[in-house]
Amino acid sequence: MKGFFLGLSNGVTCVAYCTPVLIPYMLGEGKGVAQNFVTLMQFLLGRLAGYLCFAFITWLIGLSIFGGLGSKGLIIGILYIIFSCLMMVYAFFRIDVPCAARSIGYVARKIRVPLLIPVAAGLLSGIALCPPFLLAMTDAAGKGSLSYSLFFFFMFFIGTSVFFIPIPFVGALRRLQALQIVGKMAAGIVGLYYLYTGIMAVIAGAEGI
Amino acid sequence: MKTDTPQVPRGEGLGRTIILTAITAVITAVMFSQGKIPQDPKGAIALILTFLFANTLFFLIIYTGKTDRYRAVYFSTFAVMLIVSFISHMLEARGSMSLSEAKVFQCEVPFCHLVIPMTLVPIALTKTIIFPGSLIGGYASIASMFVLWIGATLALGRGFCSWSCFYGGLDDGFSRVLKRPVIKKINPKWIYLPFAVLLFVALTAAAYLSPTYCIWFCPFKAVTEFNAVTSTEILIQTIIFVSLFIGLVIVLPVLTKRRTQCAFLCPFGAMQSLTNKINVFDVRIDKEKCVKCKRCIQVCPTLSMSEESLEQGRTRITCMKCGKCIDSCPKGAISYHIKGTDIPGKRNTYRLLFLFAAFLFLAIFSSHIIQDGIVRILKLVTTGSMIS
Repeated sequence: MKGFFLGLSNGVTCVAYCTPVLIPYMLGEGKGVAQNFVTLMQFLLGRLAGYLCFAFITWLIGLSIFGGLGSKGLIIGILYIIFSCLMMVYAFFRIDVPCAARSIGYVARKIRVPLLIPVAAGLLSGIALCPPFLLAMTDAAGKGSLSYSLFFFFMFFIGTSVFFIPIPFVGALRRLQALQIVGKMAAGIVGLYYLYTGIMAVIAGAEGI
Repeated sequence: MKTDTPQVPRGEGLGRTIILTAITAVITAVMFSQGKIPQDPKGAIALILTFLFANTLFFLIIYTGKTDRYRAVYFSTFAVMLIVSFISHMLEARGSMSLSEAKVFQCEVPFCHLVIPMTLVPIALTKTIIFPGSLIGGYASIASMFVLWIGATLALGRGFCSWSCFYGGLDDGFSRVLKRPVIKKINPKWIYLPFAVLLFVALTAAAYLSPTYCIWFCPFKAVTEFNAVTSTEILIQTIIFVSLFIGLVIVLPVLTKRRTQCAFLCPFGAMQSLTNKINVFDVRIDKEKCVKCKRCIQVCPTLSMSEESLEQGRTRITCMKCGKCIDSCPKGAISYHIKGTDIPGKRNTYRLLFLFAAFLFLAIFSSHIIQDGIVRILKLVTTGSMIS
């Protein structure tokens, strides 16, 4: 239950880190509350997959993957860059509503984007963005058993997920069509911001190795 | 469609104008002086000049019926004087416009209204003000700015951006440099960008508990204060805000004759747009009188007028109530309006009520900044330096 309570106590932080990703995406899609819950489930599924994957790695090699400060920055930086690319591709190249930048709209028609954006976003944001996740990993890494590690992360996931429940209600605003454009633009800005963060983390990480 | 020669909107008669200006003069005399004439000759001159300047412009607004023309003069003067006053103050207090880490840790960073959208979510969630400013007292405290913002929002809605914002006068001024725009076509979808920036800064401020817009984007740091460049990251931030200042506050307003920073970037403006919904004043179009010459669409500095607006008889939510469309309408079809009343109704009364609220707010809010700016300029002329 320690994982669950750790999740509960850090859920607000988790949500705060994930809303810059989730809310622009949900607004950009312009779907209703029920469909947004499906999106949230996909996102959380991705997050759970990321958590369990890391639970396994944590058990397998302990904290050695993050043993050096430099390698930690490098890995997180690379994840940030992948994540930011995902956001920017979503914002600029998967355009159902006309974007203000027409030249991008032309390129958009030529490109197909992965369908499971929420799953991928959940996976990457769970691993790269979430400081409480790193806290949980530190705790789990101190124990020896795989089952403990998996269970710990699963319970941590349950504890944090409670706080995501209100987010799909942004779908109540879907009749405001302008919000779709706002959501896409915000996703693009978030993508650019994380791209910068990722590049800086990679540079710092590479210098630290 | 060919437009008719613009008719001069009807102003008030001379006698009525004098009476109305006299009311403003009494209020401004009390508020500007705060009940005492400065002993310092420069201060006294500044007080008199500011008083005359404000009341002359108010007289002209009422008498000529032209709102935007004279509002813009005051508004841009306010912005320029803020820069003069603020920079002088920073040089006196710190010896530099750059902000050291020590001042940040001591919570001595002046607070401005642009930070407000980023503070609201963290205040609600964590009861924390994520800005290293002084809560009460000191220069530009957080509490005083919140009080001013709430008052202006209730009185003016997004009218704040044309009647109170001490930065808006810059791009407003630059947008009037050329007679005709060089860039005429702007995709109206860009008006949604400030809302996206608002969403981004509000969410990231909540996530990282840091004022993202101030750190990364605020173009007005170029003319107020900025972080001393001590790292690559701060250098990148500096390049971004200087570029935004040159691009959105100077170059694009000149080329487009629009207030591009206010219309396409400012998250505070986006938030104020939402407050237009609760504000009692708006700008309405009398569909009976409108001949769809589209002059208002051409001149609106924030793209808040569209063909859809003409059909619906109302502006977009982003309207700043600057009065430019009202001044330019050849048929007098556009007017200030009080929600819930008839259109056109008592348009002159609505206009006067709005002007008293808006102009007095602008005059009182700006008076000490303009006076200080004049004193600094007089100091510069007489002593060769603006600072003590």
